[in-house]
Amino acid sequence: MDIQLKRGLLDVCVLAAIKSKDSYGYQIIKDMKPYLDLSESTLYTILKRLETANMLTVRSVEHGGRLRKYYHITGAGLKRIEDFKDEWGEILSIYRFVTKEDDGNE
Amino acid sequence: MNKQEFLDRLRNGLSGMPREDIEERLIFYSEMIDDRMEEGLSEAEAVGAIGTVDDVISQILTDTPLTRLVKEKIKPGRSMRPWEIVLLVLGFPVWLPLLIAAFAVILAVYIVVWSVVISLWAVEVSLWAGALGGVISAFTAQGNGLSGIAMFSIGLCCAGLSIFLFFGCKAVTKGTLKLTKRAALWFKSLFVGKEAA
Repeated sequence: MDIQLKRGLLDVCVLAAIKSKDSYGYQIIKDMKPYLDLSESTLYTILKRLETANMLTVRSVEHGGRLRKYYHITGAGLKRIEDFKDEWGEILSIYRFVTKEDDGNE
Repeated sequence: MNKQEFLDRLRNGLSGMPREDIEERLIFYSEMIDDRMEEGLSEAEAVGAIGTVDDVISQILTDTPLTRLVKEKIKPGRSMRPWEIVLLVLGFPVWLPLLIAAFAVILAVYIVVWSVVISLWAVEVSLWAGALGGVISAFTAQGNGLSGIAMFSIGLCCAGLSIFLFFGCKAVTKGTLKLTKRAALWFKSLFVGKEAA
């Protein structure tokens, strides 16, 4: 898959994983497991990128005698998800057009 | 391997990267291991689930821009002494051309490698042109049956060779891409992990 496309998809996936409630690294990996295998290093890079872009904020919460980082989606993050839905609406209609051409040729 | 060993090896392997980057990553991996252990995995299993230290390091290097590594490497650990600054300024006519030359050599090697790939594709295209030309001239060589047959067979030979070469070209292109990626990784690895040795 095109690397830029994949990068954009992964960003939105991680945002979606923290959309309904704040989540932490391992939980995000587990939530995404049925859809895609995400390594720790990749997740770290994505989280860092989203944090720099102000799409999420991080806070440390005490958990079982240690600190755990929780990620919280921001307004910009929610907007990114909405933009993604709009963009993919367009892409899907193009996809339908492309596959329709295929059917016609058969 | 237990968690502490994993984190120590990771720290050594990443030395040379910005300190705050290393600390933040170690906290991240430590949390990942703790969360897995909380779920019932043994320490060794939790560490194993993360992957080998070498894999983790090479992935981190791939994700880290070269400029960040270089910036950290050339950042002096202490403030420079006056004579060092004087030497740096006076030596400027010497070290700058050397630096430029070094980069030029690297760039040249890179271009040469890709030239080979491009030439192979050029041969591939010419073989196809030859095949097409051979077949066309076989039909246009009226009145001279023998040379027509010769042209036709040369065209077929070209076509055959080009099919063979196509796979070669593809493999070479793929290989070169892979090599480029590995070379970039190797170059980046020069900037980290040296303090561990």
